[in-house]
Amino acid sequence: MRYDNEQVRAAAEQLRGKFESLEEKQAIRRAPELTALYEQIKTMSPEKRASFGKEVNALKDEVEGWIKDHNLPTLKRPAIDVTAPLDFNSSKPELLPTELGSRHPLMSELEKIIDIFVRMGFAAVESRQLDDDYHMFTSLNFAQDHPARDDYDTFLTHEGLIAPAHTSTMQNRVLKQYKSNLQAGRAISAVIAGRVFRNEDLDARHEHTFYQLEGLYVGKDINAGNLMATLKIFLEEYYGQALEVKTQPFYFPFTEPSFEFALSCPFCKKKGCNICSYSGWIELLGCGMIHPNVLKEAGIDPAVYTGFAWGGGIDRLVMMKNGIEDVRNFHSGNLNFLRQFS
Amino acid sequence: MKVSLNWVKKFNEISLPVDELIEKIGAQLGAVDEVIDLGKRYEGIVVAKVVSCEKHPNANKLKVCMVDDARAIKNVRRNGQGLVQVVCGAPNVAEGQLVAWIPPGSTVPSTYEKDPFVIESREIRGVLSNGMLASPKELALGDNHEGLLILDKDAKPGDTIAKVYELDDHIVDIENKMFTHRPDCFGMLGIARELAGITGQTFSSPDWYKQDVKSQLPDSQGVSLGLKIKNEAPKLVPRFCLIAVSGVKVKPSPIWLQSKLSRVGVRPINNIVDITNFLMLETAQPLHAYDYDKLKTGTIGVRLSKDGESLKILGGKEIKLDGGAVVITDGQKPIGLGGVMGGADTEVDENTKNIMLECATFDMNVIRKTAMRYGLFTDAATRFTKGQSPLQNIAVLLKAVDAVQKLADGKTASKLLDEKTNLPELPMVKTSVEFINSRLGLELPGESMKKLLENVGFIVQSKDKQFLVTAPFWRTDIEIPEDIVEEVGRLYGYDHLNLKLPVRDLTPAKLNENLEFKSRLREILSRGGANEVLTYSFVHGSLLQKTGQDAKLAYQIRNALSPDLQYYRLSLTPSLLEKVHPNIKLGYGQFAFFEINKAHSKAHLEDDKSKLPKESELLALVFAANDKAAAATSGAAFYKVRSYLDFLARELGVSLEYSAVDTESEEQVMKSYELKRSALVKVQGTQDALGIIGEFRAPVIHALKLPLFSAGFEIDIEKLAASAKAARDYQPLPRFPKVEQDISLRAPDKLSYRQLFDFAQKTLGKIKPKNSLVLLEPVSIYKKSENESHKTITLRLTITSYERTLTTAEVSSLLDSLAKEAHSELGVDRA
Repeated sequence: MRYDNEQVRAAAEQLRGKFESLEEKQAIRRAPELTALYEQIKTMSPEKRASFGKEVNALKDEVEGWIKDHNLPTLKRPAIDVTAPLDFNSSKPELLPTELGSRHPLMSELEKIIDIFVRMGFAAVESRQLDDDYHMFTSLNFAQDHPARDDYDTFLTHEGLIAPAHTSTMQNRVLKQYKSNLQAGRAISAVIAGRVFRNEDLDARHEHTFYQLEGLYVGKDINAGNLMATLKIFLEEYYGQALEVKTQPFYFPFTEPSFEFALSCPFCKKKGCNICSYSGWIELLGCGMIHPNVLKEAGIDPAVYTGFAWGGGIDRLVMMKNGIEDVRNFHSGNLNFLRQFS
Repeated sequence: MKVSLNWVKKFNEISLPVDELIEKIGAQLGAVDEVIDLGKRYEGIVVAKVVSCEKHPNANKLKVCMVDDARAIKNVRRNGQGLVQVVCGAPNVAEGQLVAWIPPGSTVPSTYEKDPFVIESREIRGVLSNGMLASPKELALGDNHEGLLILDKDAKPGDTIAKVYELDDHIVDIENKMFTHRPDCFGMLGIARELAGITGQTFSSPDWYKQDVKSQLPDSQGVSLGLKIKNEAPKLVPRFCLIAVSGVKVKPSPIWLQSKLSRVGVRPINNIVDITNFLMLETAQPLHAYDYDKLKTGTIGVRLSKDGESLKILGGKEIKLDGGAVVITDGQKPIGLGGVMGGADTEVDENTKNIMLECATFDMNVIRKTAMRYGLFTDAATRFTKGQSPLQNIAVLLKAVDAVQKLADGKTASKLLDEKTNLPELPMVKTSVEFINSRLGLELPGESMKKLLENVGFIVQSKDKQFLVTAPFWRTDIEIPEDIVEEVGRLYGYDHLNLKLPVRDLTPAKLNENLEFKSRLREILSRGGANEVLTYSFVHGSLLQKTGQDAKLAYQIRNALSPDLQYYRLSLTPSLLEKVHPNIKLGYGQFAFFEINKAHSKAHLEDDKSKLPKESELLALVFAANDKAAAATSGAAFYKVRSYLDFLARELGVSLEYSAVDTESEEQVMKSYELKRSALVKVQGTQDALGIIGEFRAPVIHALKLPLFSAGFEIDIEKLAASAKAARDYQPLPRFPKVEQDISLRAPDKLSYRQLFDFAQKTLGKIKPKNSLVLLEPVSIYKKSENESHKTITLRLTITSYERTLTTAEVSSLLDSLAKEAHSELGVDRA
């Protein structure tokens, strides 16, 4: 590179020599020749400053280029003895200190929640991350082209596979898997956890990737009161306090009747706070009595057995609990975030 | 769905206070998004009479008016007769008019939401103006800003404007999703009925809202306009009704009507269009009005669209159609996208004299597809996609004709044409008191259930606690007994349910071993100072390319909003590598990231018959250190990351084996790894590799700006879990002291550490004293220089006997024997 300014040209010359001899190449960034040029920019008249500054910046870029080239992975790395537990002339490598380590808050919360349900007698199942239309929609009583499918903004592959938008994508499988429970005179009780997807734009409150937990209970004489009681006892255990619950009617093709379920705000004891938007209530999940067509599809006679199901997001629970301001933090891989959960 | 409580009250007496009503709506009808107290916007605004109106002395376009508000407003300057002076710029202001006066201190309603503009008394060109006279736009009653709103109703000066035009209203926005299956709830009438139902009242629909009411209209009252229907898509359009009306006077609607529409967010256009919108808002049944004289022929066609046809829709946009949508034609070309949007070429405008009214039923699925295909999510489409009942078409059309006659002076000019096929029967469902109670966990008497259902129009025939329930004609969602359960439960109120836990036996639920194992992995690795991350299941194509993976094997998302979500990932490592540089930039010197997640590849399908892609359960870890931290660490990054895997294996009780990678592999998980500095990971004694561990290829380091000191591993969790032990390898405690001694062996570089170590281990096993415990550990590997052809490996032997105290001499001679064996077998010398 040719520099028009004499001073810059001279500095470039010197820096080149210095770089060759430097042990730690990065140190060239702090070379006095470079700092001096920057100092000089400040003292110049505005009309001169522009062209001079340009040259100095060009030189800085060139220097960065040297460092980059030096580090460039034309790396001469010899083969190593991978069967050895340590490198030659080296001590045995150490792990990072335990206090820096962390589990992802979504995963540890999910474990806590699953643990409560397991204690309540629910088997835990994990949800798929790529599934077919049958499990995502058809087996759940969504007719082909039914407008109710629009509410799910699904990602589709070219093969027509679906990134599941709810953990209910596992309902049919779970019902079939545990059908033998019913024959043995026991109920089907399972929770399904996993990653689900909605084709949405990202913002502080919307993620296209999030976690859900779904629950199923099927047996004889199961009613809507059982559903409410089960969710209530779970939430009371989870929040460690007595709570009030209420429902709003809702619509899901795979439950009838369907509800939206709300609990009294455990953070302010219904007094009103910013978590519950000063309403005293938190809408938490969708639920309902499993639609007879869903049971039928899994080979369960809806005239004999009834059941309930619910599903809700985990991300929001964790955000509310910890006061996390932005849902995008979860998948950011940002250590500033992660290490707060060490 | 925006509901006007004043509108609803037209059908039904509601005595509950608004806040209690809102709570009931939430609990028994659907989630309330928002409640707007409209009355607040109109506070202080009153009817005033323009008593005099004179030209402004200093401005040509302004007038100085004296208005009479019957002294309704306090604290305002009045003249001797009690009149108030207001300067007005509207061209239509005149003496004797009744107008809306916004007095000083009140807010202009149209600015109430965003940037409230409070009116004050001020001089306008030297003349004091006490407040302002308002235009319809300023009153948030439509777009008209050309002149004042001149009251068209009996009203007295001093009346509040809110009262005169029902603006003292509450608008309740109920979430649309609640009504996915409730076509009737997209109209005020349906909401009024539900409100009656949940407050225990019996609802009667207005007389005109009847199933297939007979038309009392004369075929024409003067002019006769030719009209015929040719329905070629009867499956998708089960009913199509038309009528022509002649001699209409198109003009702005009366203000009460504009007020109604405006309150629920619909823009008033002209009386004809407003009537169709009004009836849609009231009954949920969309209608459309065409300018009859703009039709090419009087034969109206209903058919599927043809690929390549075009249609100019309302608003003037030209859309190119492909097949599959329902279009309405004038016998020659499409004049409307049936059930979604009308065409611009047959739009009713101020010159329209004769109109054709359409009231039809369209298949919800075709409407959904059409709305999505052309991005036209209109009010009509919203309603048709909920499955409107064809049994209400005639009633609504007759009501529309009636309104056109009243508000636009029209006269019918054709028969009411009713083209229909296979109209549905009213749904009938058999159920019982016991069934309903068992599903709800209630003990409601049959009589109460019957009453709840009849309140909202169901017909219930009951005999011996058995019900035969006939759904009303506006309900298209009632099919099965569970639907009746929902109806009873909701109308009764779910907050009255008995909260009782189900009873189950003591059989423990099976533990999910996979989940337990993953939890264990998490716990171990975080104990090792590593941070668990979650990254997206989807990756940008460029990441696959940068990490050398083959995008052709990845499932591609066809409708992703962002290119960052193009492909399902083939392995986890690339996603982790992407997170390295940003954290280095944040100033973190060194860190280990791990993720437990799934990956998918077209190359691997599930073993079952599902043909679904295999969900590979993977664990990946990446260690990275910036140059400064790396300088303080000795040894290559490979060994650092290996120490993590060794730690994990130790904790799981698994013995791993690392072997050099000899050949390039097609396994995508290996693509980012530099093979000569990587190893295949196997469980000792097995053939099948768990995965790979190593440093990354130069181009990967370069493309993802990784620090040079970086390495990782990615392994299959299911295979690892299969070898993990629940218990530790325990050795009984010896009573005798242990003896430690090191041995250093100088070996040629090409002899691997493991060959030597395994040899030593095996040999010691053969020659050790009987009934003793032998532990062999690495101490160091020494090389004079990097290119040296030999290395010295020092191992530490710790030996304990269960029988006696071993002597140092005994152990020395053991190591001598080992050295001798090593010399003869491996050509290795003691250093």
